[in-house]
Amino acid sequence: MPSNAQILWMYEIMEKARYYEDTMAAVYMEGKSPKFDIGAGTVPGEMHLAAGQEPCAAGVCVHLRPDDAVTATHRPHHVAIAKGVDLNKMTAEIFGKASGLAGGRGGHMHLLDPAVNFSCSGIIAQGAGPAAGAALAAKLRGTDAIAVSYLGDGAANQGGFHEAMNLAALWQLPVVFVIEDNGWGISVPKAKSTSVADNSVRAAAYGMPGVHIADNDTLALFDAAEEAVARARRGEGPTLIEVETYRYYGHFQGDPELYRPKGEVEALKAKDPIKRLRDKAIADGSMTEAEADAALARAKAEVDAAFAYAREAAYPAPEDALTAVFA
Amino acid sequence: MTSNRILPVSRAMSEAIAEEMRADPSVFVMGEDIGTYGGIFGATGGLLDEFGEARVRDTPISETGFISAGVGAAMSGMRPIVELMFVDFFGVCMDAIYNLAAKNTYFSGGNYKVPMVIMTATGGGYSDAGQHSQTLHGTFAHLPGLKVVAPSNAYDAKGLMTAAIRDDNPVMFMFHKGLQGLAWMASPDAAATVVPEDAYEIPFGQASVLREGKDVTIVTLSMMVHKAMEAAEALAKDGVEAEVIDLRTIVPLDRETILNSVAKTGRLLVVDEDYRSFGLTGEIIAGVAEHDPTLFKAPPRRLAVPDVPIPYSRPLEQFIMPDAAAIAEAARASLG
Amino acid sequence: MTDIVIPTGLWDAEVTPEGIVSNWFYADGTKVAKGDVVAEIMVEKSTFDIEAPADGVLSRSVAKDGVIRPGTVIGHVNAG
Repeated sequence: MPSNAQILWMYEIMEKARYYEDTMAAVYMEGKSPKFDIGAGTVPGEMHLAAGQEPCAAGVCVHLRPDDAVTATHRPHHVAIAKGVDLNKMTAEIFGKASGLAGGRGGHMHLLDPAVNFSCSGIIAQGAGPAAGAALAAKLRGTDAIAVSYLGDGAANQGGFHEAMNLAALWQLPVVFVIEDNGWGISVPKAKSTSVADNSVRAAAYGMPGVHIADNDTLALFDAAEEAVARARRGEGPTLIEVETYRYYGHFQGDPELYRPKGEVEALKAKDPIKRLRDKAIADGSMTEAEADAALARAKAEVDAAFAYAREAAYPAPEDALTAVFA
Repeated sequence: MTSNRILPVSRAMSEAIAEEMRADPSVFVMGEDIGTYGGIFGATGGLLDEFGEARVRDTPISETGFISAGVGAAMSGMRPIVELMFVDFFGVCMDAIYNLAAKNTYFSGGNYKVPMVIMTATGGGYSDAGQHSQTLHGTFAHLPGLKVVAPSNAYDAKGLMTAAIRDDNPVMFMFHKGLQGLAWMASPDAAATVVPEDAYEIPFGQASVLREGKDVTIVTLSMMVHKAMEAAEALAKDGVEAEVIDLRTIVPLDRETILNSVAKTGRLLVVDEDYRSFGLTGEIIAGVAEHDPTLFKAPPRRLAVPDVPIPYSRPLEQFIMPDAAAIAEAARASLG
Repeated sequence: MTDIVIPTGLWDAEVTPEGIVSNWFYADGTKVAKGDVVAEIMVEKSTFDIEAPADGVLSRSVAKDGVIRPGTVIGHVNAG
């Protein structure tokens, strides 16, 4: 069960992530209207937003330390925020500015911050192996640091996921695999891509515990992640957690979502997980309304400041494209 | 039958596939989001509605799984068209492509055929960064056993796709995202062309001389064709006549057209959106040099993406992408 | 002469009032048949095909990337 401090932390992180994604959705459309040209505007290229998936980030990262490694996906912002990535530098990176995490070289799908041991990548499931590797490093060095690999439900059908699962279980690596099951692999629903309804059963195939969290339940995930992280730190090996979560936006911004059943998003929003946590915590006294309001205000201020920082920051010199290839 | 109907490349591709699927029940399509969505880059629009789920299959995100399944289906007498959504994803399934599809004909002394098309989206210029913007012509052309085609316009796209489906060999059909004519990504006007309604083939190994000129030969393909044509117009204003050759297919390569042109102009500039070193541009130049280095009146030149991951930020990406101005400048420089 | 009109009800125009012509599939002055897909429009994220309402010769009045709304006349089909 979380302490009051942990509940407040998770709530603030989730509000920060939500406000970040909603702000980004609006900023992304600058320069792309009435003609949607993906390469145009303030934030060009692809954009994959995680509004609705905040519990997956908060409920796990609440248990992590800066020296725990996290690998994330093409939909990384909420996890980056929960892991403590510098919000100004992250936003500047997404804006393509020189003061971004990689001086504009990586962009939204390639946010890497060694200061908090966070990296992400755009190739599906290819973060699973590196997380196992970071876990291996911790084990070799004799620390109790762990690794967390974030994956989508689509990634559970990709070879790299299965190899990493086997390796982690075989070598008893301190890694937690977290599948954010938002029910969609771009346009393909889970039932049409995955041979099992619940990926947590696949853990048994690799000899590790598997846990299923239903309906975006932050507190249930808190408990499951607490146990998985503790297991890993004790040297008892990996765990797979699958979280049923919600994708409010399209796969990428600009996705017409013609494949999505009418009313699905509205139905999900009606049971918004952040509101559920807030209401429950206030009702049972673990958080006061004043604390919650203050947390929300702080979260929004931090996000607004990050976007302002990114806007004002300078672009890199074009020749910087040629540097930082090698150390 | 004459036609005055203009199609963007994406619709030319899906029309070619539909016509072959109507004519030949062994043709089917697999890939990620190629069904209901019609392909992320529009290559399979309308196919699910016409042919149904058995022949137009949305796959899980399992490239090794479904591409190697394509190899097996092809060896069992089917003609699969498999989409690798972005060419950059080849990393997770390359074995199926270069060790199976490309080699099983050879390993069987010709007794097995692998009549599959792997169509895949290439190209950058819209800030999709290092894992979603690559072109990789050289990577696939380098490995024996694969045919590799890269159209620059809709007319060629339909003819090359039809030829690819009918070919009994594995064909990499590399289409540039920025040529597809998608509503949400800018494309050159000249990419959309009049496309005949009836099926037709363009044979592989035949480059197209898009513009004749006596002063410098520009050999190029795919998106860079359009930049080269823009450069050629600018050069013409200065009295420099560039000959622009659109390769259309990389394997097989039309070396004869290249040689004839360089014999005429004496100056060669190769332009490719792929990485510079160890690839297509070097191969074209080496091919001419081996044949007869005295053809060159000036050192041959090449323009390509430098050997760096493709950066995200717009000024960085624009810096590394060849454009019409850079092509014109390189062409002028070869004239001394 | 028959107008080529952007239909109402294709998309929720209260949410997104405008779109653009994203592609023309026939040049000005060419012959089209009723039912031919003559243009494609894009409204923020979705595309729609627009058909010729009659046989005849096409004249385009809204160019590619031009803004459209429900009821916009993007061109005409002239008999003969």
